Amino acid sequence: MLALAISGLTMRFPGLDTPVLSIDRLHLPAGGRLAITGASGSGKSTLINAMTGLDTVTSGSVCWGGTDIAALAAGKRDAFRAANIGLVMQDFHLFPGLSAFENVVLPVRLSRRLKPAECERALHLLETTGIARPDQAIETLSRGEMQRVAVARALLSKPGVIVADEPTASLDRRTGSEVAELIVRLARDEGTTLIVVTHDPALMERLDRRVGLDGGRIVEDSSEVLAA
Amino acid sequence: MIRFILADLRRFKGGALAVIVLIALSVALSVTVTLQERAVRLGSARAAEKFDLVIGAAGSETQLALSAVFLQPSPLPLMSGSVLAKLSEDSRVEFAAPVGFGDSADGHPVVGTTSKLVSALSPTLAEGAMFARLGEAVIGADVRKPVGADIKPMHGGADEGGHTHTELIYTVSGRMAPTGTAWDRAILVPIRAVWQLHGMEGEAAHDHDHAAGGLATVAAAEHEHTEEREHEAHIDPAAAIDEHFGAETPGLPAVLVKPKTVADAYRLRQEYRGETTLAVFPAEVLTRLYATLGDARSLLLAIAIGTQVIVIAAILLVTIMHIGTRQKQIGALRAFGAPARAVVAIVSGELFLLFLAGFGLGILLGYAAAHLISASLTATTAVRMPVEFAREDISLAVWFGILAVVISIIPALSALRLSPARALRA
Repeated sequence: MLALAISGLTMRFPGLDTPVLSIDRLHLPAGGRLAITGASGSGKSTLINAMTGLDTVTSGSVCWGGTDIAALAAGKRDAFRAANIGLVMQDFHLFPGLSAFENVVLPVRLSRRLKPAECERALHLLETTGIARPDQAIETLSRGEMQRVAVARALLSKPGVIVADEPTASLDRRTGSEVAELIVRLARDEGTTLIVVTHDPALMERLDRRVGLDGGRIVEDSSEVLAA
Repeated sequence: MIRFILADLRRFKGGALAVIVLIALSVALSVTVTLQERAVRLGSARAAEKFDLVIGAAGSETQLALSAVFLQPSPLPLMSGSVLAKLSEDSRVEFAAPVGFGDSADGHPVVGTTSKLVSALSPTLAEGAMFARLGEAVIGADVRKPVGADIKPMHGGADEGGHTHTELIYTVSGRMAPTGTAWDRAILVPIRAVWQLHGMEGEAAHDHDHAAGGLATVAAAEHEHTEEREHEAHIDPAAAIDEHFGAETPGLPAVLVKPKTVADAYRLRQEYRGETTLAVFPAEVLTRLYATLGDARSLLLAIAIGTQVIVIAAILLVTIMHIGTRQKQIGALRAFGAPARAVVAIVSGELFLLFLAGFGLGILLGYAAAHLISASLTATTAVRMPVEFAREDISLAVWFGILAVVISIIPALSALRLSPARALRA
């Protein structure tokens, strides 16, 4: 379980005068469940990229349980993410030609030898996410099943936090709500912090806190409303 | 990782196959050129090895060497028989063997010579015995006739419209062991039988002028046809051969000389280079030809390497475009925790695998092509052309390997320049 502490974070893109993201302070305690919302272009994805280390931040700090990943070099950031952050994306980003099981263990396999315990955990996660045949080729799965495989992959390395970027946006309503339920349930069972970018009210409802973004700034924070 | 690479290659089957074929063809071209040039060079050098010094009438050195070594049918001028007589007496000469070309049988050249040359070519016969009578013949290893078979010599070649010598039928008395030279296709008969068939023996003294100026071919001999006929009846196949050559020896196209020492060889060549005779070291003539051949090889090799450069450029283009479309995949791999070295290994590994497959296939193709060409050359010339790899080929292969590694790593490194977030958006 990891706590997030963002302070003085700005992201600028070349050619743009105003920063696309500017967040003075955002704290999330370990085990917290946060929804990030906002219209498209509000900086949600930029915020996700900054907090997962997918992109280099212009200035400020992004601390996960004491590690400021904004200060790390790209390679170190990749390694930190691999070890601590479980990513689930809107487009799944699974690799065709491999089976469901192979997709789940691919990131680990590419960095080192798969341990027997990890192999067992992968099978267990696939079972939990409701994939009946782990050896089924990924391209023959339905979209809902693909996202379940992606969730299993995100959890394999027992990350301290799950970051999901619009995990239900490309799914139909029913499948979407099943996946939403699955993510929240697994985050609770696995004891991870959960951060989800979403427009899906059904998913938002299941989370403790909601932060709204507009023009790269936080314009709404449900926890502050409650505190006030 | 290998599973991932293979899964990826399966997805791009068509493109991967095209790249392999491109590389294979360009590598095959260089391999064939290199191997074939070496085969021709080694094969003909080995064929020339047995012939130290060839002496013939003044004319073309190249023609004399090619005729003696490869038994190439060509109109060689005749020189005086006294040259052979003189050489036979010379103390610097181990043996001097006359060679008389011009006749053929079933497409094989019939060469008149002496038993000494047969022994030099094949110290022990594969079967049968040396010719001892005028009507006997020793055949080369590649002549498909059994010992005891009849050979009807024909003046010139069948394709030149020559006529058959009815006055003498040779009987195969023995077969030489394979020599790997053009002489494997030859039928060797006593020189005196050839002379007698052509009406040159015995009247050499007064026939001298015409012999020296004549040609050992159909065209030259055709008009003497009627004259020859008169001699037909005199040939006795059972007559013992006489290999002592005196001053009355008839004219002949060439004499193969085995000098006793290297110094003798040079002295003899010096002595017989004159207005009426020509002395050549076939190996030296061939070396000159190889120089030309070598130039041709350099040119071909340059063309082959040129095509390789073009192919590699095309492959680079394909990979760079391929990387463009793969940015997303690479970004995803990194986003989900694959370390940079794994990404580099995957991208360059895929390319390297294609290079390797193309290279291996190309070597096989080139080797097979060189074998085919050599086989067809051997079928027509009987000169064994050894297709073999040599030590210097290793360095070529190493260079290719280094180039392949560099070229496959460049796109991989370029793929890592973008942050995973940007790569995912691509």
